[in-house]
Amino acid sequence: MKCLRYIYSFFRKHYFTYSALVMVLATAVAWLFFRFGRQATTSILLIYILALVLISCGTEGYRYGLGAAAVSVVCINFLFIEPVFTLTFTPSGPISFLGLFAISGIASHTVTSLRRQAKQLAAQERQLAEAEKEKMRANLLRAVSHDLRTPLTGIIGSSSAYLSNADFYSEADKQKLVQNIHDDANWLLEMVENLLSVTRIQNDCKQLKTSPEVVDEVVAEAVVTLKKRHPNAQISVTVPEEILMIPMDAMLIEQVLINFLENGLTHGKSDKPLLLTVENEPEQVLFRVIDHGLGVPADRLATIFEARSETLPAVDGYTGMGIGLSICKTIITAHNGTIGARNHDSGAEFYFTLPKEEHHEP
Amino acid sequence: MNPKFSVLVIEDEKSILDFIVKSLTAHGYKVTPAATGKEALSLITSLCPDVILLDLGLPDMDGCKIIEEVRTWSSNPIIVVSARTQEEDKVHALDLGADDYLTKPFGVPELLARIRTSLRHSNKLNNDSDLYKKPYQAKDLTIDFLKRKITLRGQEIHLTPIEYRIVAYLAQNSGKVMTYSTIMNNVWGPYAESDNKILRVNMANIRRKLEINPAEPEYIFTEVGVGYRMLDDEPV
Repeated sequence: MKCLRYIYSFFRKHYFTYSALVMVLATAVAWLFFRFGRQATTSILLIYILALVLISCGTEGYRYGLGAAAVSVVCINFLFIEPVFTLTFTPSGPISFLGLFAISGIASHTVTSLRRQAKQLAAQERQLAEAEKEKMRANLLRAVSHDLRTPLTGIIGSSSAYLSNADFYSEADKQKLVQNIHDDANWLLEMVENLLSVTRIQNDCKQLKTSPEVVDEVVAEAVVTLKKRHPNAQISVTVPEEILMIPMDAMLIEQVLINFLENGLTHGKSDKPLLLTVENEPEQVLFRVIDHGLGVPADRLATIFEARSETLPAVDGYTGMGIGLSICKTIITAHNGTIGARNHDSGAEFYFTLPKEEHHEP
Repeated sequence: MNPKFSVLVIEDEKSILDFIVKSLTAHGYKVTPAATGKEALSLITSLCPDVILLDLGLPDMDGCKIIEEVRTWSSNPIIVVSARTQEEDKVHALDLGADDYLTKPFGVPELLARIRTSLRHSNKLNNDSDLYKKPYQAKDLTIDFLKRKITLRGQEIHLTPIEYRIVAYLAQNSGKVMTYSTIMNNVWGPYAESDNKILRVNMANIRRKLEINPAEPEYIFTEVGVGYRMLDDEPV
């Protein structure tokens, strides 16, 4: 299969070799007919016609088709029309020759125009995809700048309050103000890291830089990072006994896991620990983050991974997870995985899968 | 802390420099700031600081140049500070001879911990000969390098020879990030394959023997895209 594909791609590049090979083959077959067959003229002509059509379809433009037609004319005259090995022209000759030229001309024309159309269609599709991407980016930007402004307001407000009225506040109040600045800044950092992940995908034009990574390590990194930000977070992790190495961009998958865990912590609103499980399936690896909280409202389940647009006004400002989750979806889609959310009896579950083998799209 | 340890901070961003200088001074270090590479190089030669804190993105020269320059004549600890997205730069800096790195943004406790680790290691270099290697001891894990024996919670752990060499190497450099290529070179020799898959698989096996839950490691940590770091040993 691979060998065939290689030959095919070779001929797609070397039109001359292809045409010459087809002509030689046709002449060889015609010669067999001529030597061993009776009344072979028709068959020989048909063989050459077939060869011309093959050449016209397999090459670009008119050049090779018409050239092959000229060669066929000479070959037929020289090799297969009595007296052989001479170029003789009978009155009926030019008509059949004209026929050959017409056939290769028509075939070349059809193929060329078909190709042109296909190219135009592809270009149009590309433009549409580009426009779609542009729209997504604009939506994201709008949502992001809103979400960034909220913590910035907090930071600027708290710090200016401190600077202008430092004497007025008690020690506890000061502590509170600085703590607020700290929290808001951390929140900003999470946001910015999410956005950085997106640029990592878009820089490489969909083509991710993946390398085989040990699942435990990525999971551990995500948990450690999260515990740094939320020292009181309770997370219970289970990974399969066997060592799993799957192709991925470790930074991005870590980001997805952090977003899921963060989401579970802030929106789950529960004292029970979060569950993070990794399961080994035949074709893929399943990652699940389960919380024991309120669950996701049913009407939000379907669209929870879509970038929050103007339809959903941010009420309390700290709803930026919408962006976090939509970035998760972008990341997982780029890995050819699947992502989803569902409610269970006592809370919500977010999951994603990663394929074990890298799928090369044609 | 007597005498005071001196720290040279090379950072061009004024607000970051400010906060580092303030917090280090508050913790009893003698801090010298430098804003450019040129200034830094002349200060290093004249002051010989105990620790160098280096931001890789300097206005006048590549931070890696400074590491190279300093490493030609000094083994003082260098801690590199860099932004999150530059994994290759981190690895490059570590391979050039930097001791450790910190990813921006970082908190004061993290900064202090790294400086303490570096200082301890630079002291350790002096009394660490091949003949005398004191056992590694952290939490419930002990490694006796002379007997090649690893005990965890009083139980002896059996590792394959390769696994032992990886753990021993990390333990001897505990608290520091070791890049994949450094570990590969030390365990498999200089002609090891450039692909670090074999190391990763070995590490996954080690974790299954050493850690209660491989996904929540207590002893050996992963630095994504860079290498491994083993929990700093507890000074006796």
